[in-house]
Amino acid sequence: MSVLIEGDEKLELELAKEPIAAPATGSLLLHGALAGGIVLYGMIGGFFHHNEWGSQGGGGSIQVSLVSSALPLPNDQPHNDNVLATEKPSQAPAPPAPKEKQAVDDNALAIQGKTQQQKQQQKQIKTPQRQMTPQPTNRAQYGEQAGSQMQRSTMAQGGSNGPAAVGSGDFASRFGWYVDGINRKMSTSWNKLEVDSRTPKGARVFLIFTIHRDGTPKDVQVDRSSGSPTLDRSCVRGAQRVDTFGGLPAAYNSSTLKVSYYCEY
Amino acid sequence: MKAFFRFSPLFALILAGMTATTVAAQDWVHTGTNLGSERIRLAAADFKPVGGDPQTPALKAVFDATLYSDLANAGIFDLVSKSMAPQATPGSPQEINLGQWSAAPSNAAMVALGALSASNGRLSVYGWLEDARNTANPQVLAQQYNEQASQEMARTVAHRFADLIILRLGGGINGIAETKIYFVSSRTGTKEIWAMDYDGQNQHQVTHLGSVSISPRVSPDNTRIAFSSLSGQGWSIRMYSLELGRLVSFPAGTAGGSNLSPAWSGDGKKIAFSSSRSGDSEIWVADASGGNLHRVTSFKGPNVAPTWNPKTNAQLAWASGRTGLPQISTMDQDGANVQRMTDGGYAISPSWAPNGQFLTFSWNRKYGPGAPGGQDIYLMDISNLHWLQLTHESGSNDFPSWAPDGRHIVFERASGRHAEIWTMLADGTEQHQLTHSGNNYMPNWSWK
Repeated sequence: MSVLIEGDEKLELELAKEPIAAPATGSLLLHGALAGGIVLYGMIGGFFHHNEWGSQGGGGSIQVSLVSSALPLPNDQPHNDNVLATEKPSQAPAPPAPKEKQAVDDNALAIQGKTQQQKQQQKQIKTPQRQMTPQPTNRAQYGEQAGSQMQRSTMAQGGSNGPAAVGSGDFASRFGWYVDGINRKMSTSWNKLEVDSRTPKGARVFLIFTIHRDGTPKDVQVDRSSGSPTLDRSCVRGAQRVDTFGGLPAAYNSSTLKVSYYCEY
Repeated sequence: MKAFFRFSPLFALILAGMTATTVAAQDWVHTGTNLGSERIRLAAADFKPVGGDPQTPALKAVFDATLYSDLANAGIFDLVSKSMAPQATPGSPQEINLGQWSAAPSNAAMVALGALSASNGRLSVYGWLEDARNTANPQVLAQQYNEQASQEMARTVAHRFADLIILRLGGGINGIAETKIYFVSSRTGTKEIWAMDYDGQNQHQVTHLGSVSISPRVSPDNTRIAFSSLSGQGWSIRMYSLELGRLVSFPAGTAGGSNLSPAWSGDGKKIAFSSSRSGDSEIWVADASGGNLHRVTSFKGPNVAPTWNPKTNAQLAWASGRTGLPQISTMDQDGANVQRMTDGGYAISPSWAPNGQFLTFSWNRKYGPGAPGGQDIYLMDISNLHWLQLTHESGSNDFPSWAPDGRHIVFERASGRHAEIWTMLADGTEQHQLTHSGNNYMPNWSWK
């Protein structure tokens, strides 16, 4: 019996419909919701993400290059190819170079006389360096020094003994700051990139121009060519680009100032 | 390195001295390149208080602080720190020992000094600028001021003296210490136009419209502000008179469609703006009175944010969407000679430098989903399209605007939903935040 009943139950179970309706509807609903969601997302996205600026395919290659230094701002570290210029002050006379230490062989037996000689040599090297520390004021200085107090012109010594000494030819001594201003303005205005790179280093072109009372440069012309047309032209352009060097100092009597300026590649 | 080069002008100037003695009418100067592009080492001495008026110490403190910060902000000086300067407060050129200032640790090439006194409600200031290295003829500048004794006036006098020093030593470019910055602020709840001094001081509200007002542009003579404002007819260009303290009419800016981003020409005679009254946003130009309106561009896609070349007043730059994403373009004022300046990405908000040589704008060079990089301020030389990135990896930067000296740029920096006004030198250094309260947008630097 029990086997039959079991068999009946089995039969019933086999004949009974499989409960797929609920999962099927669930699945249908889920897919419907997914599809609806995608459509809705597209609609809402299209509604809100209204890209007025068209496609994003506007890009292409991107130029990587730098702007020239023509901003009216000082350049803290001017470009300098001169190998003679150093960051550190050199001392004159140059301190003796420390002798290279002889390679010490650990296995070698120490010879009494030799080791003493080496020590004496080391002492001799140190002594001149100590003497250098209080720097004599009258010696020549090379290399970088802090806050140079150098006169801008030798004319200052003989030409001006107070406000009465207003002669011709002492502009640079009386208005050194204005000359510095000309240099500063020209170095930001001159674009070295315009010069042909085959120009030999150190080539100089000399310009002559006139600065009027309001500071505007006029009559820019090449005085002595450097031999490189691009260098000549770039220097002339640099001077022509300057709108004004600033009004001439009020204490300066003449109406114009002649300037001879060189650009060195 | 610097001193090495100073030897060459010495010889040049000896030459100058020898040749020039024969010339009577004018002097000769012989000089050359690589001789002086470093910053001028300048010391600002504390001014000497004179007299026993109780107002003097407070005014002196304001004056000293303002003068120091103006000179430090100028961008052309290496300013001697107050702690390195000599202890003495010289009140006149007779009292100063220049050797003390030109020696270490201050190493000053120039010293600004003077005396300040208040009496009977008047503030009197004597200021000098001395060349510390030229002991024979040190005086560069001597100036006297006599104004009403107030904190505001002490600040103004310090601004004027600083501007004079900057003009004299900065190669004839006027200082910006007395300029203003106009901007949008929502700190009262609605977006209104505000104004402040160039250093962020003295912030005050200009318009009280209770609507939304954006993109202020002050006229070159500092009398009017053009801006766009939301009204019943949509966005319209409106004009606010700073002299009358109220809105004045600008009929060209009120027609249908969105009228946005006005821009004054350098002579103050014309205003360019973008308007969508004919469909797409296009650039339109009108007289400053609002008459003689005409359309300049007719491209597919939006064309917005015009800016004039203030040097020539004959060219416009703007953000054009005619090739897809917005790019900076330039054209003549009649719409001819269109040139695209940027070659990709997303470039907006151009501003043309006072010398006509540079454009600054906001650029996202790698725009798109998943692309790294942010909206940064860039500088471009319009003659060769070479560019320089000024801001790096700090928020989203937009709306740059040139200062009249061509050395400073003010811009909006947003991080998250918070936007503030910042300023920097035109090489991207010395970035400072100017506003600290509420949200502040779209700065515009006045012309003088």
